[in-house]
Amino acid sequence: MDYSFSQEQLAYKEKVIAFAKEAFPESYLEADLNSVFSKEAWMKCAEFGLQGLAIPKEYGGTGDEIDLITACLAMEGLGYACRDNGLAFGINAQLWTVEYPIVLFGTEEQKKKYLPRMAAGEWMGCHALSEPDAGSDVYSMKTTATKVDGGYLLNGHKHYITFGPVGDVILVFATTDPNKGAWGITAFMVEKGMKGFTQGENRPKMGLRTVPFGDLFFEDCFVPEENRLGPEGAGWSITNSSLEHDRCTILAGQLGTMQYQLEETVAYVRKRKQYGQAIGKFQSVSNRVADMKLRLELSKLLLYKVAWMKNKGETSMMESALLKLYMSESFIESSLDAIRNHGAPGYISEFEVERNLRDAVGGVIYAGTSDIQRNIISKLLGL
Amino acid sequence: MIEELSRYITEDLINDPDFGTLETDEDLLGSGLLDSLGMMRLVGFIENNYGIKVPTEDLTMENFMSVETIEKYVNSKK
Repeated sequence: MDYSFSQEQLAYKEKVIAFAKEAFPESYLEADLNSVFSKEAWMKCAEFGLQGLAIPKEYGGTGDEIDLITACLAMEGLGYACRDNGLAFGINAQLWTVEYPIVLFGTEEQKKKYLPRMAAGEWMGCHALSEPDAGSDVYSMKTTATKVDGGYLLNGHKHYITFGPVGDVILVFATTDPNKGAWGITAFMVEKGMKGFTQGENRPKMGLRTVPFGDLFFEDCFVPEENRLGPEGAGWSITNSSLEHDRCTILAGQLGTMQYQLEETVAYVRKRKQYGQAIGKFQSVSNRVADMKLRLELSKLLLYKVAWMKNKGETSMMESALLKLYMSESFIESSLDAIRNHGAPGYISEFEVERNLRDAVGGVIYAGTSDIQRNIISKLLGL
Repeated sequence: MIEELSRYITEDLINDPDFGTLETDEDLLGSGLLDSLGMMRLVGFIENNYGIKVPTEDLTMENFMSVETIEKYVNSKK
């Protein structure tokens, strides 16, 4: 195993850090409090090239080729330098669950139509898989696509969709043949404004509040044949292709945040004095810092290993599950430790320490819950 | 190959002492016999044992529905 990165990869990460520090110096207190999404921030990232990391150059992409390690390092840099955790989360969701499936399965026309617009930030993409009765058991979905002349009629309800209320193009999964189970799932590109398609309001949530989440409704929504992504029944394959990438890079943003969180906590406990000395001198405090460092380093090793394996085209079921489980749970633990070490300022919103804890909780739920990751690990061990 | 695939699916993936015999034309994923993880483990087994690489685009019902279709697919890739 060789986790060393090229000079170009490391230079790009540094470039992202410098960009994000300059572009996003502001406080996110108000945006978090009022659940405000910033299209301006989205556009800044697109102009820099972050939304093009999963797209080949000929369709508006950023690099000469799609490189998962570069994407991970870029997200790590964004997570480190931008205090809005939702931004890295949202970009990552579009990269791997919308753009990448189009790269793999799209027709030439679909690639030309959707990819340059998403890379440029003009269009925002959503991945619509979950339903009220189909969460972890996603292939029990009820949304149907009925074949009609020239296309399909979609009927159903998707929920908890990242960017659902604001998305311009939605990758929707529906069953074209319920008798075939998972083989009967087909993917479609639905566009904002299509007749029979309604986007719900933002649903307030505990964390990641700058990312709108909402429901999508399809009522006899006609989708032309040319908007089907891949052949009928390719939905299972499409979701599989994107989820491992998504799990890997979605956590890269958190890794950057955990690095910043550690540095900020160390600086605070060195400066804050009680009983005549810096509180970092008290072992109860420094032990928590040591634990934060350990979680950060183990998370790095797990993340880089998965990125390295995926870049080589290897399957990484066990490694991805270990990474997702460990890192999402670690972010919660380290966020709690950061709050404990800050005392009251850690608990009060205005100091922007507690927000990481709220943002972290989603990580043990989205893209496969911690319970599901444990199931995967134990199954792979033969249980 | 049929026998080897059937044994792996039955013993390692289904792993249920009460399970009977796997029919070679039985739908593995669509019937729920295997879940997504099971299918991906099967793909890993095929790649490791038969020296082929399975691209994502090939994970279709035509290629991976049953032991029979998998055998045909693997032979076509060799």
